[in-house]
Amino acid sequence: MTDKKAPAVDVRNLSKHYGDFVALRDVNVTIAAGEYFVLLGPSGGGKTTLLRTIGGFHKPTKGEILLNGQSVGHLPPDKRPTTMVFQAYALFPHMTVTQNVGYGLKVAGLPKDKIAEKVDYALEQVGLSQFTHRKPHELSGGQQQRVQLARAIVLDRDILLLDEPLAALDAQLRKDMCLELKHLQEKVGITFIHVTHNQEEAMTVADRIALIANGNLVECGNARDIYRAPEKAFTASFVGENNMLRGKVSEANGTSVIVDVAGSKLTVDKRGLAVNDGQEVSLSIRSECVALDRINGTKPPADGMSIMGSFDESVYLGLTTSHLVRLPDGTEMVSRVIADSDDSLPGAGAPVRLSWKPSDIRLHVD
Amino acid sequence: MNEYDNIWLHRLKWTYLLLVVLTLMTPVMYVMYISFNANGFGANEYAFTLEFYRLIFSDELLIGALRWTLMLAVVVTMIAVPMALLAAKYYKAADNKLFPVFLLLAPLFVPPDILGSALLVFFKNLNFTFVWLGDQLGTSLFDSWFRLSFLTATIGLIIYTIPYSFVVILITMGRYRPEQTEAARACGANGWRAFWDIEFPQIRAGVFSACAFTVILVFNEYTRTSLLKGGFDTFTTVLISQMLNTGMSGQSYAMSALVSFVAIAAIGSIIIFTMLRAETLSRVARAKAEPVMS
Repeated sequence: MTDKKAPAVDVRNLSKHYGDFVALRDVNVTIAAGEYFVLLGPSGGGKTTLLRTIGGFHKPTKGEILLNGQSVGHLPPDKRPTTMVFQAYALFPHMTVTQNVGYGLKVAGLPKDKIAEKVDYALEQVGLSQFTHRKPHELSGGQQQRVQLARAIVLDRDILLLDEPLAALDAQLRKDMCLELKHLQEKVGITFIHVTHNQEEAMTVADRIALIANGNLVECGNARDIYRAPEKAFTASFVGENNMLRGKVSEANGTSVIVDVAGSKLTVDKRGLAVNDGQEVSLSIRSECVALDRINGTKPPADGMSIMGSFDESVYLGLTTSHLVRLPDGTEMVSRVIADSDDSLPGAGAPVRLSWKPSDIRLHVD
Repeated sequence: MNEYDNIWLHRLKWTYLLLVVLTLMTPVMYVMYISFNANGFGANEYAFTLEFYRLIFSDELLIGALRWTLMLAVVVTMIAVPMALLAAKYYKAADNKLFPVFLLLAPLFVPPDILGSALLVFFKNLNFTFVWLGDQLGTSLFDSWFRLSFLTATIGLIIYTIPYSFVVILITMGRYRPEQTEAARACGANGWRAFWDIEFPQIRAGVFSACAFTVILVFNEYTRTSLLKGGFDTFTTVLISQMLNTGMSGQSYAMSALVSFVAIAAIGSIIIFTMLRAETLSRVARAKAEPVMS
């Protein structure tokens, strides 16, 4: 029996090994019913393995998966309260759009008129009502993915698994489909678990994001926290455009620490982390939080919230411009600003100062 | 043709291709030609007739041979093609593909005489063992199990045809995307249903081609059938023994021509159907496909 109060998905100590290769290592994650949850991470990190294990396409080596409070480790995919949208090539090419969408209902033994009614409704939801008699090869990539979505939501399952559903689409279509996915999830109200390596896609749709890399669940939290306040250095390096600085703690007293980075002493909030004098740590600052100033003759005072470097070059990216600065130890830092004109830029090699607000720099000890 | 190609080189290639086909088909066409000649093989004068085709049906020996061969073909096809299909499915799913493919294709590399003789010796010994076992138990129940018969010929022909069917099916299966099976499972279909509803319709052409190929192979096979069937009473064994002993009769030419017509028609139909279908699909796709929509 389904436990209505239980989370939609509860993954406990899940490991998946392929011989010596560890695809997932002791993963624990809980996903609430009706949540849009994103598994984000680099390719080969284990996020698709986790999704496919939840869907019943892989057997866990160790650990347990509970769907709506029920252990499903022994159940094949067709017996689980899940359905799935694949990256590509998963439509049945010998069937029309209507037949594709109605296939699961036909398998379930629903009467023809009921199937037709539900299929029409699902196709309306994804805006494909006028393509019912087409075969998959007569549809564009975006339309094909929408048929997959309709085929999944028509089944009224509790959990929809999406395995890189937008990866095969072009950039503009991906953006549009992201919003459509989010709106669709809000409309149907079921749990969506979406795998992607694209952080923008993840940020657009997610209620919560879990970052997965090297088989480990690195960090899990809501999209804003993952972006603005990453706990782990890996999260900071993967999400957003963060400047990652390596340094050594020179003073660790009270609520802040002083870290030696490329000859400058930077003050950072300790965030309750246990750090000792002389410990190697890393610091992260998002590039849009870094301001760039020219140094005109006099050396500015060391305030713990800035660092000196030499201007390297600027890269115009349309909406924004990235200013690249080389620190004395060779580390490259980026200051990203809303696009400005070229004429105010310092010359290559000119000394510059990069500064930020105290709350923008984060300490990582992992 | 590439627009930069030399037109004469292009024509030369086509001429070469036609010559190859002509070389391959001339003997068959010559048999067909003789089968319509009332004066038979080697006659100076050609008189068109359909008489030999009518006589086939009154020739007990030929009709009997055709019956046996058809039965063998049907039984072998019914067993060998599903076995090859299962093997191809296993091969697609296997992590280590080298070992299964070696095992399945190995019979192709053993010369037919050697494989046929080996099976003959094997079945003889097996028969002796079963007869001995029956004697020990005081029963004649096991006496004919492995005597040379339809059963032993069937086994020999299954071993012979499975590798061919396997390869033909595997080629079609190569285009099949396993994500579709997973999608069907995600829609609630069990393994069999996913295969039957989704995978089979897409590999059907390969399976039917394997069936046609198996039937033709069984009709063509002489060595294994003659060694393992017991009695020269199948299509090729009758034709060849007739040719060696008394020379081929008019109706034998007619029968050979008829079988060739059927084989060419069957394979030709499959090829034409496949080509027409591919052409229709691409035409429909071109006509209906719309620009990418968001």
